[in-house]
Amino acid sequence: MNTDGQLDNDAERYKLRLFITGSTPRSARAIENMRHICDENLKGRYDLEVIDVYEDPEATKELQIIATPTLVKILPEPLRRIIGDLSDKERVLAGLNILPLTPGE
Amino acid sequence: MSDETLIAELRARLLEAEETLDAIRHGEVDAVVVGGPSGTRVYTLENADRPYRVLIEKMQEGAVTLSRDGTILYCNERFATLVGHVRENMIGSKADLLLSRSERGVFASLLEQGTSSGTELTLIAASGIRIPVLVSFANVTVAEDTPTVVCAVFTDQTFTRQRSDELTVANARLGQEIEDRRRAEESLFVALDAAGMGNWDFDLTTGIMQRSSRYEEIFGRRDATSQLRIEDAMDYFLAEDRAGVRAAFEAAKKHGHINFEKRIQRKDDGVIRWVHVIGQTYYRDKKAVRIAGVVSDITDRRLMDDQLRHAQKMEALGQLTGGVAHDFNNLLMVIGGSLELLGDRIPHDERTRQHLKAAKLGVSRGQKLNRQLLAFSRHQDLRAEPVSVDERLEAFRLLLDRAIGETISIEIKRSKETWHCLTDPHQLETAILNLAINARDAMPNGGTLTLSTRLQQVDARSHVPTEIKRGDYVVIDVTDTGTGMPQEIIDRVFEPFFTTKGVGHGTGLGLSQVYGFAKQSGGFVSIDSTLGVGTSVRIYLPRTDGQLSMADPLPDGEATASGQGVVLLVEDDEDVRRVTHAMLEELGYTVKGADNAQRALDILRADAAVDLIFSDVIMPGGMNGAQLATSVRVEYPTIPVLLCSGYTAQHLSAELTLGDIRCLRKPYTFAELAEAVAAVIHPDAQ
Repeated sequence: MNTDGQLDNDAERYKLRLFITGSTPRSARAIENMRHICDENLKGRYDLEVIDVYEDPEATKELQIIATPTLVKILPEPLRRIIGDLSDKERVLAGLNILPLTPGE
Repeated sequence: MSDETLIAELRARLLEAEETLDAIRHGEVDAVVVGGPSGTRVYTLENADRPYRVLIEKMQEGAVTLSRDGTILYCNERFATLVGHVRENMIGSKADLLLSRSERGVFASLLEQGTSSGTELTLIAASGIRIPVLVSFANVTVAEDTPTVVCAVFTDQTFTRQRSDELTVANARLGQEIEDRRRAEESLFVALDAAGMGNWDFDLTTGIMQRSSRYEEIFGRRDATSQLRIEDAMDYFLAEDRAGVRAAFEAAKKHGHINFEKRIQRKDDGVIRWVHVIGQTYYRDKKAVRIAGVVSDITDRRLMDDQLRHAQKMEALGQLTGGVAHDFNNLLMVIGGSLELLGDRIPHDERTRQHLKAAKLGVSRGQKLNRQLLAFSRHQDLRAEPVSVDERLEAFRLLLDRAIGETISIEIKRSKETWHCLTDPHQLETAILNLAINARDAMPNGGTLTLSTRLQQVDARSHVPTEIKRGDYVVIDVTDTGTGMPQEIIDRVFEPFFTTKGVGHGTGLGLSQVYGFAKQSGGFVSIDSTLGVGTSVRIYLPRTDGQLSMADPLPDGEATASGQGVVLLVEDDEDVRRVTHAMLEELGYTVKGADNAQRALDILRADAAVDLIFSDVIMPGGMNGAQLATSVRVEYPTIPVLLCSGYTAQHLSAELTLGDIRCLRKPYTFAELAEAVAAVIHPDAQ
């Protein structure tokens, strides 16, 4: 499984979507945290979309977003939603089903 | 999907739902998304709006929300400051109160439309100042059941308007400056043209020279092309001047200015002219990029300068030689007189006699040389005496042979009769020589010079100058078969310094001398010339009755010591006075000496027993010999006066004529003195 999981991780790209609300401080923080986590753990194998719900409220329907900020892992399955400003890295990695590459941090 | 997997999946979803509720409960979200019948809505929490509020408050535009009827619902601090009201007082009031009446209608219709961008309006501030603004409207529906509000943004245009007004003023000023400069340039061109100056502008980056039409005229380029390269411009200068012109342009790049006079050859007629080029260099980034200036044709000015210099030189030479001749005369007087006095006192052996003769000959040669100097300096008085021109013609032939060379044959036509005219034979000789030289120059390839005399009666019908007296004139005609002259040259030939010969080849005084001499002799000159045929100059001298009034002085006659009487000798030069004193005593006269006119009058007043006053003409002390003679004539009419001078023509003529007072020319010989003194003291004896 371990081997298979590794293979799965390598083979599939992460497709992520972050919902925010304009330029609020929490939205800004969420964007910042997301960038760090992706750069450290998913470098070169993720697509991130940031959606401002002010601009496009209808975009929330498809993924059943009820509050912002919310990060959605669309691929690889299963689909997962993580709410908040993403400052709890452990929780975000767990939600994304990723083991941290630098365990010390 | 196995049960186990399903349970895991459900557990994960439950965790997610719990986390979401937790986050909302703890305020970790900014907005809640709510679906409704008319679409999804986003409800933001207060803190999410804060950045927008700050933006609105801090921005430099006035932000206002209005109800549809124009009531102010909100305005930012900036808008309140702009119109000068307290914000709290403004909210709830009608916005159009801030506008002039005329603009309220426009404002109302903008509110009605709900949207607009960049409409110009004028706000009236609390202070009454009018503030130009740009206003943009946006109609916003906040909720379905609430009326729409209008968001308005006011941009202060005061500064922009000011800048734009300033810009307009600056633009107008610039336009005026350009116009002024254009006019100045135009008048400069007019002035340059009037001054006969062409202007040129040489662009060093392209090597092309721009020129005015006057420039082209000066260089004789009427068919000029517009593109003139500097090298082509250089071609107009004479080959030997080009290096200098190039050097001047090179130097101008460094020194900033150019100024030279060089020769050009005009293109249209090939004539060589002098031009004066003057200009300055213009720099960009310390690099010479343009040399521009003016050019003028200065040929005439240079010609005039040369003529003036020539005239000034002649005048200065005349002054100098006149002065030298005057002193030289006195020296000759002393030497000659002393030699004659010595003659009777030294042993009469042959050797002594020869030495004495040689010395006397030296004096006589000096005398002739001095006369030439005086003739040149025009200080010689006319020593008029009855002269028979015909008798002198043979002497003239010798003179002419020497002066004009072998290619020209000389023909002399003597008349059968002999007439006399009252003139100075030396001056006549000079005049004929001058005419012969002109004739020679008019016949470079040889020809015939004819010299003839005749008698002509001038009466009322004669075409002669009006001031000429009627009567008989002896005419001396000098005719050549030369090139002749056009009328415009004939009109000017008698002008002093007018010459058709190159500078250095003629003084321009030859015909002037002929003219002056003829006039001084009471006659006149006429000239006829035909191009290609030749020129005739005729000197008219008044006829006289022959040799009766004054005989030629005894050339070498022996003076006898037979004089009697008292002579008052007036002479300022002590040496001359001493010699003359001795000579007069030798002749047997009793002599009283005076060194100026006043002293002479004093002597006369003390004792008027004087038989003759013998005075120099030019003397210091305020009274000259002529004035002394006038005084003597009034006070002592019976005492005769004899004058002497080497330097009299100009000074004496204005005072009195020489007609009745004889003037002895210095230096005089013993014999001449004896004859003159005797003739004046005893006129009846002659």
